[in-house]
Amino acid sequence: MKIKTLQRKIKKLYPSVVVDTKDGCVHLTGTLDNRDDIVNAGYMSVDKKRYLGVLNDIKLKGFEEPKIRIPKTNDTTLDGLRVDCLVIGGGISGTSILRELTRYNISALLVEKESDLAMQASGRNDGEVHPGVDLNKGSKKQYYVVRSNPEFGNICKELDVDFVRRGQYACFDKPINPLLKLYAKFRSMNGCPTTVANKKEIEEKETHFTKKVKCAISNPQSGVVSPYELTIAFAENAVSNGAKVSLDTAILDIEVKGDKIISVKTNKGTICPKVVINAAGCFSDKIADMANDRFFTIHPRSGTDFIFDNKISGQINHISSFVSAKKNKKKHSKGGGIVKTIDNNVLIGPNVYETPYREDYSVVAGSLDEIIKKQERLLPSLNKKDIIAYFTGTRAATYEEDFYINKGRKTKNIVHCAGIQSPGLTTAPLVAKDVSKMAIEELSEVMKVEENKSFNPIRKKDPILRKLSSEERNALIKKNPSYGRIVCRCEQISEGEIIDCLNRNIKVPTINGIKRRVRPGMGRCQGGFCMPLVAKIISDHEKFNIYDVKGKQSDYPVTFKSNKRENHD
Amino acid sequence: MIIQLPLNQIKERTMINYDTVVIGGGPAGLASAISAHNNGAKVFLIEREARLGGILKQCIHDGFGLLYFNKKLSGPEYAQNFIDKFNELKIENTTNSFVTKITKKDDQFLIEYVSEDGVKAVSSKTLILSTGCRERTSKQVFINGTKPYGVFSAGTAQYFTNILGVLPSKKCVILGSGDIGLIMARRLTLEGVKVFGVYEILPSPSGLTRNIHQCLYDYNIPLHLSHTITKLYGENRLEAVEIAQVDEKMQPIKGTEEKIECDALILSVGLLPENELAESLGVPLDPKTRGPIVNENYMTMVDGVFTCGNAMQVNDLVDYVSFTAEKAGQSAAKYKIKEQTYNNVEASKDFEYVLPQRLSKNIESENVDFYFRTKKIEAKVQVQLLCNDKVIYSKTYQHLKPPEMEKISIKSTDLMINGDFKLIMKRG
Amino acid sequence: MKELTCIVCPNSCSLKIEKVNDVWVVTGNKCKRGEKFAINEMTCPMRTISSTVRTTFPDAPVVPVRVSAEIPKDKIFDVMEEINKVILDKRVKRGYKVISSCLGLNVDVIVTSNILIEKVEIHE
Repeated sequence: MKIKTLQRKIKKLYPSVVVDTKDGCVHLTGTLDNRDDIVNAGYMSVDKKRYLGVLNDIKLKGFEEPKIRIPKTNDTTLDGLRVDCLVIGGGISGTSILRELTRYNISALLVEKESDLAMQASGRNDGEVHPGVDLNKGSKKQYYVVRSNPEFGNICKELDVDFVRRGQYACFDKPINPLLKLYAKFRSMNGCPTTVANKKEIEEKETHFTKKVKCAISNPQSGVVSPYELTIAFAENAVSNGAKVSLDTAILDIEVKGDKIISVKTNKGTICPKVVINAAGCFSDKIADMANDRFFTIHPRSGTDFIFDNKISGQINHISSFVSAKKNKKKHSKGGGIVKTIDNNVLIGPNVYETPYREDYSVVAGSLDEIIKKQERLLPSLNKKDIIAYFTGTRAATYEEDFYINKGRKTKNIVHCAGIQSPGLTTAPLVAKDVSKMAIEELSEVMKVEENKSFNPIRKKDPILRKLSSEERNALIKKNPSYGRIVCRCEQISEGEIIDCLNRNIKVPTINGIKRRVRPGMGRCQGGFCMPLVAKIISDHEKFNIYDVKGKQSDYPVTFKSNKRENHD
Repeated sequence: MIIQLPLNQIKERTMINYDTVVIGGGPAGLASAISAHNNGAKVFLIEREARLGGILKQCIHDGFGLLYFNKKLSGPEYAQNFIDKFNELKIENTTNSFVTKITKKDDQFLIEYVSEDGVKAVSSKTLILSTGCRERTSKQVFINGTKPYGVFSAGTAQYFTNILGVLPSKKCVILGSGDIGLIMARRLTLEGVKVFGVYEILPSPSGLTRNIHQCLYDYNIPLHLSHTITKLYGENRLEAVEIAQVDEKMQPIKGTEEKIECDALILSVGLLPENELAESLGVPLDPKTRGPIVNENYMTMVDGVFTCGNAMQVNDLVDYVSFTAEKAGQSAAKYKIKEQTYNNVEASKDFEYVLPQRLSKNIESENVDFYFRTKKIEAKVQVQLLCNDKVIYSKTYQHLKPPEMEKISIKSTDLMINGDFKLIMKRG
Repeated sequence: MKELTCIVCPNSCSLKIEKVNDVWVVTGNKCKRGEKFAINEMTCPMRTISSTVRTTFPDAPVVPVRVSAEIPKDKIFDVMEEINKVILDKRVKRGYKVISSCLGLNVDVIVTSNILIEKVEIHE
């Protein structure tokens, strides 16, 4: 709508909000005392035909946005570094883009402010690979998801990451009606194979479902993958092809002269990139702002997932949800469902709530009850007692609720890969190709860019002994006895496998780094027995003291020095 | 010399066969292995850690052996007494070895395990599962807020402190008044850590009375009953906890919340017998003990599979572990495949559980020891064992507490009746 | 009159102690050790402590120790300070006195584990 119309509409609801235009976007300022109102004002301002985006700078009354969490340490290890392409953000977007960049003979560096990759949204989701069922046609999400889903198996094969097409059931408690069949046909014609499953098929394939399910929309192309494993795999392959990754590296400022980024200041020194790629997730609008090229706003939206003990994995096979009759248009996520992850854990959730916090992963009281109440309608055998873990994630949503994949408009040497929310995991491989293309185009204006003839797309993971046959396992142990010393009994993980992990080309010698890559601590005892053993292995291998072994982030040790006299060597 | 053949040679039927394979080399495994050996069995013990002794290696406090040795020993010393005997008898064993699968074929158990020497297998007539227990985790206790590092179960905190020589905390709060939490409250205080208090959700303590005295009162560590932790703060490392009082339904009372700044939360919220191997063999568990249903010989409902120690029932005194393990070892050594009928043993609702849960119609030993726990604190009650409504045995107790496991010994001749047994409590 | 719980053995007898005609009278105890305990509690409470001492050996960074007999309760942290000063550089066995007659109390601090004399496994 025209700006004057919008001003009128918003003034009616929120009189203290000022609406004007800036850089071709709607610009909102003012103060409101309710987060949901701020978000609503942002939604109202969306008009893709008329404006480039929404700049929602309305403040929440009495709320001071916490400072972005950055590492406490500073050094100059990257100071003065000249690099062709700087990727900001180590999630699925940043790492898949980094890998694409190594198809060319350019220097590429990825910086990530956390102590490991995939620490934010990319490590906090259910790992679903979507077929593209309920997305608006014409959206970038839809465009990428229907093209990327069929290729997903290939990329996982190249990167040696497990991927399984479990199939999906969106269940109804009403019998099949012709509209449903029409919908399925329509979807299938638009790149997303869909059928309607009848009660008999569902009862055969899902013996633990409630008998209330009468039919379901079935998408056999839906799959599951470990989102952080894939992120790490992309990065490892990129590094083996010549890229560099710097963890614990935060962007402090970006120097822009005219329409070009001249330098990027980090806690490890000032870098001079020719082109910058903004894949900074919930902070991508902040990065865009620093680069003087902001045409969108992120409104964080969080949700929690709960994980069940493996012993109930037999109770479900498909990615499933119960579709309620009345759809709430404002709820953007699928409203949560039940997923059997790639590791055969049953996962329920997520719930959805808008939040002003970009990286707050605490669990909101009542989340579990809310989710389990919804999901036990479909799977009545679900029991709170079997929950072994949980996690919260925050989606980097724009007001358009679509990806923002664009070259810089005001600033020339930046490419944005922002607003990546579901199905961002599924679409990453294809989005990465397009973003890399844009970056290379920009780079080609200032230097000659050639193909990297020795690019090797194959990345191999280290042996997982419990998955091998007895003969294979025996042979490996004979070569390396540390494969025979079991450290994590719940998941049968050996000392050798943990040491392998410390020898990979991107090393993260923290308890959490080892846990995500090799799994000690993910079983029923949740690290009760193995955490000290893993700490000792890290300490011995890396040759630092046990009280210097970190849990998750580099600034936080797991233990402290005792008060006893120390040995002085 | 022990010759263990790799799995692919099993088909050649040259695998070493034992009379008893003991899984777990802690106090239960050691005592049962020694006893089985002394009763003529060819024994093989498999231990997953590098050293024998089980959890006692890290229980450096004293109080062990008051009944068995009439001495007040530390955990490592108690274990060492058994390890010395075990080594003296030259009982075959392997450490750093992890059992991956057990299958039953004909009347033999095939035990596959992984060790530094490769993938191995042995076969045995009987099994003794002495796999101990694990601690309940914070995820199972549903604490809201963040998931930072700094939340340790008491046993993990104990390992860091006593084996690795580092401290899990500088200032902490302990949730749960189970024995391990009480022991760690004292241990950490001795090492210079500030322990703000022990918070217990129930209105009465979960650990032994003497531990409340020796660990808390002695060191002026406050015990807050009917309290729980409601929230955690700190994204990467714990920064504070929120505690609140709870009502009779154990729900937090609004308005009683208090924030305590600390860098660690130590959890002592219960032990769970480890019975994954038992379950894989189809051994039925008693949901009340969370251990296998056993007879007076500590044989499970799967013939030839015996159990003892914390895998069978969570013990408060290691002395009882040794006594029951010896019996299990003896029974495994004497085991002969035979048809056997059983009488069931049940406990009334006043009890948490009773063990054993079944009695053979022909009991071989002179006495049968029954172990039980009361559900609530009781004073001046009579515990009676009935069969067909007749009182077989009666004992008066001045007080009974849930944290304190009790034992009664009944002559076998009194138990060889046809009928099911019931343990009841008479008040007044 | 004071009420105490005896901590000598698992019976945890509830004791009552009072001074009658300048003599301590204890009731509720099932054995003589309980009587001795109650009297000590009123005159000079005694306790045992267990801790660890640092070693120079990477395979056992600390070894467990305990006092060989009870020490006065009010000397607990003084003894801990002495224990914290020890660095053990010999492979000793259970029973070895790391501190003899600690603080002149006629009580030793002894090693309670054989970990140092067990076969040393060197990985990597």
